[in-house]
Amino acid sequence: MESRFNTQTLITWVVMVLCAGLVLYPLVFLVQVALNTGDAQTWPPAQYGLDNFDGLLRAPKVLLNTLHVAALATGMAVLIGFSMAWILSRTDVPGRRTLESLMSLPYYVTPLVGALAWSALGSPRGIINQLWYALGGTQALVHINSPEGIAWVMALFEGSVAFVMISAAMKSMDPALEESSQVLGAGKLETMLRVTLPLVAPAVVGAVIFVFAEMLGSFSAAAILGMPERFFVVTTAIWTLVVRFPPDFPLAAAMGLSLFGVMLAMMYLYRRVMHSATYVTITGKAFRPRLIQMGWRRWPLFGVCVAYLCVAVFLPMLALGYVSLLKFATVIPKDIAWTLDNYRTAFDLGPIREALGTSLTLGLLTATSGMVLMGLLSWIIYRSHTRGAGWLEYIVMFPQSVPRLVFGLGLLLSWVVMPIPVYGTIWLLLVGYLTVFLPLGVRTISGVMVQLDKSVEECARVCGASWLYQLWTVTMPLLRPGLIAAWVLLFIASVREVGTSVLLIGPRTKVIGPAIIASWESSGLQLTAAMALIQVSIVFAALLVLLIVAGRMVRIEGE
Amino acid sequence: MGYASDKPQKGEHVMTITANQGSHVLTMAVLLVVGLLLCSRGLSMAQALQPACAQPKEVKGFLTCADVEKAEKEGALVYYGPDVERQLVGILKKFNELFPAINTNQYLREQTGRLYAKLNAERQAGTYFADVLALSDYAPAFDLIKKQGYTIYISPQLVAFDKQFISETPGMFTWYSLGVAGMTYNTDVVLAAEAPKSWKDLLDPTWRAAINFKDSASGLQGVQWFVLRQLYGDTFWKDMMQQKPRTLPSTVQQYERVINREDKIIGLGQYSTYLEFKAKGAPLAFVVPTEGVVSTPAIVGILDKAPHPEAAKLFIDWFLSPLGQAAHTQLSFTYSPRQDVAPPPGAVPVSEMPILQLDWKAYIASHSKYVREWNALAGM
Repeated sequence: MESRFNTQTLITWVVMVLCAGLVLYPLVFLVQVALNTGDAQTWPPAQYGLDNFDGLLRAPKVLLNTLHVAALATGMAVLIGFSMAWILSRTDVPGRRTLESLMSLPYYVTPLVGALAWSALGSPRGIINQLWYALGGTQALVHINSPEGIAWVMALFEGSVAFVMISAAMKSMDPALEESSQVLGAGKLETMLRVTLPLVAPAVVGAVIFVFAEMLGSFSAAAILGMPERFFVVTTAIWTLVVRFPPDFPLAAAMGLSLFGVMLAMMYLYRRVMHSATYVTITGKAFRPRLIQMGWRRWPLFGVCVAYLCVAVFLPMLALGYVSLLKFATVIPKDIAWTLDNYRTAFDLGPIREALGTSLTLGLLTATSGMVLMGLLSWIIYRSHTRGAGWLEYIVMFPQSVPRLVFGLGLLLSWVVMPIPVYGTIWLLLVGYLTVFLPLGVRTISGVMVQLDKSVEECARVCGASWLYQLWTVTMPLLRPGLIAAWVLLFIASVREVGTSVLLIGPRTKVIGPAIIASWESSGLQLTAAMALIQVSIVFAALLVLLIVAGRMVRIEGE
Repeated sequence: MGYASDKPQKGEHVMTITANQGSHVLTMAVLLVVGLLLCSRGLSMAQALQPACAQPKEVKGFLTCADVEKAEKEGALVYYGPDVERQLVGILKKFNELFPAINTNQYLREQTGRLYAKLNAERQAGTYFADVLALSDYAPAFDLIKKQGYTIYISPQLVAFDKQFISETPGMFTWYSLGVAGMTYNTDVVLAAEAPKSWKDLLDPTWRAAINFKDSASGLQGVQWFVLRQLYGDTFWKDMMQQKPRTLPSTVQQYERVINREDKIIGLGQYSTYLEFKAKGAPLAFVVPTEGVVSTPAIVGILDKAPHPEAAKLFIDWFLSPLGQAAHTQLSFTYSPRQDVAPPPGAVPVSEMPILQLDWKAYIASHSKYVREWNALAGM
């Protein structure tokens, strides 16, 4: 008989306490800030009250704008993600492996860089409209500065997150289920809608919740495309509150925390869906994944994938490349003046080089440690019978329900007082990133975890394997697609991170996201474009190496 | 008063001489009083501006009271400021070229609100990273004075600065840059004859939905709001709301919109940015409004409990010297408050820029009203 305090129990409790500490500790400070009705510059607060919480109610238009854009963008992103996941995981589309590797690029490009590029491409005087006018058009063809335009830009880049989450689940499905459907006479589309989609529902629902939460907290596209047109969402309203002097952090914190209610409702819905049915597709029976033969339809599907990558990656990169070679950003042909000075300036800025190095290092640390921590968390939430595991799922999602700029404030206040000297070091950024990326990692791995039949693990335990041995030899290999997907997403998310970083960076630790924001704020689009392209190129090179290794690990045998 | 050219009549002559003598005496008395006043003021100024050391040393072309050896032993300088990163890095690099033993890679560049929030959080937690703090707004500086956050260091360079560019208690902070703003327009879109000539012309319906300003985070925008409110009353900005202007977070974005013909007029156009874009060939023209231009401080000072105090003093002495000011002017295209530093490349002499003056304390007292009204104007 195992002792009461066995390895599994010990590790489970350590991970739970660690996770709760990471999330709840800064949250306590954040709630204090939100309840501060005295002098906003004084800490700790001298006076508490609820006055700040009607901030959103005083600005209902801001909340409605936020929900409108978030809902639109989520719908588009999940549609993109599901479609790409099905095409690349289940069909014999040509160039599948290469396309799959490239699918993470839009997420990597970052909404900030994408918004900058689309600002140049799709504004009323942008490149697309200039070409349209040259062809005889009189009205703007594209207006990217509208709510729909903002949602479109957001969806383009979050679509790849939905893709990664959903495709990880699709890869783990036994194709026999789909084959049975087709044998019984269902067409490919019907099979996809009535068999595939329900079986990957956890991943789809997880993607919907995650992406919706991302959209609620999204800042870059709304700032670059919306603010000049007097269109505000919660995050840009919060930004306006915190950049000025004196910053109104209590109101900003209250507005950020007000989004909790929305997220709690979505989490409750997700748990209801998860517990109402079974989604097991990975059983002890071996399966050989087989692709659906699409015949001539492979080529239009190939076109769809390429079109998405062009619109999400290549076109924006070309636009930024064009802008980065200008003396000043313009699309008026007669004013164009070329230069390489922007690249010279970007490389001359020594701290930019340091920021890139720090960002890459942090990316590796966050992805590796995060994958282990979040993998264990997923197991605890969906496999263990530990008391409180259900509540842990809500706790894990908390960081996503608060805009990162606001959560970053909680992290700053909570860690600056710690006797451990982490403030101003790379370790504080690591702690911050692990905290805010908990939802991303756990959601990605959980999408595959729920597909894993418990009997597979139980067999290992019955045969005498210890918990750790069972994790290492049974669970992890079966979870491999989810773990690798989580690693890649965590790496990319870490390198591109902005909202949390702006308040946690110090004079000795710089990362690239805030450096690009600072350039956008003060130096002009052309230098920002050069910096963004340098960042994209260097990190893409690092990611390419990683994806080649990862691709070999998930290659389906026998193809 | 002078002597009559004709020989006076006798009585008149006496009277004239008496009047002349009287006027001489009066003149002498006035001159004496004025002289005494000036001397006493000069004395008090001299006392107030008594440098931190009796005998400043000349080091690499500028006077300093810092202990250079100690500064180099400290080995670093940490600078917090809202400057454009390229300019900030450029200035720190120039200082580092003179003193290679002092590392200048540690800096924090942020907009004033976030910068001050971080600094506040650090100091309230007893963490002191920063040596030197630059700000583009008086309001946080006044808050820092209340918290005794500045080290008082009277640089030997301060004698070259006019009183208006020095903190009320000399040595807390000093203006290191004089940025001015007027109006700018795209010469390919707006004819010179049609362009606004005064701030009031911005209310012309011709410019509806065609003007941009900066957002409420901008100290300079706050100054313009305050000054024009003083000139034209509260109705000016209420009328401006009907113009549906755009508000943007940075001067560069304002200019980019006008260059790309998305807007026609920059309602608050920084002269430094105009000079930069003009040098690159952008089709722009700058208007000095008939009422005058607005200006805002860029101030710098040494923080209390600075971890590298001697390096900070050395930096301040260099930065405020003609050498440092010339370097900054070249990088930033702003004027130096020092009269012995040439204007930025392509700029008119600062004497051709009539600057609208304001009561800074009254401005700070109305700051929260400005933020509320400006956010409403921005559509928030």
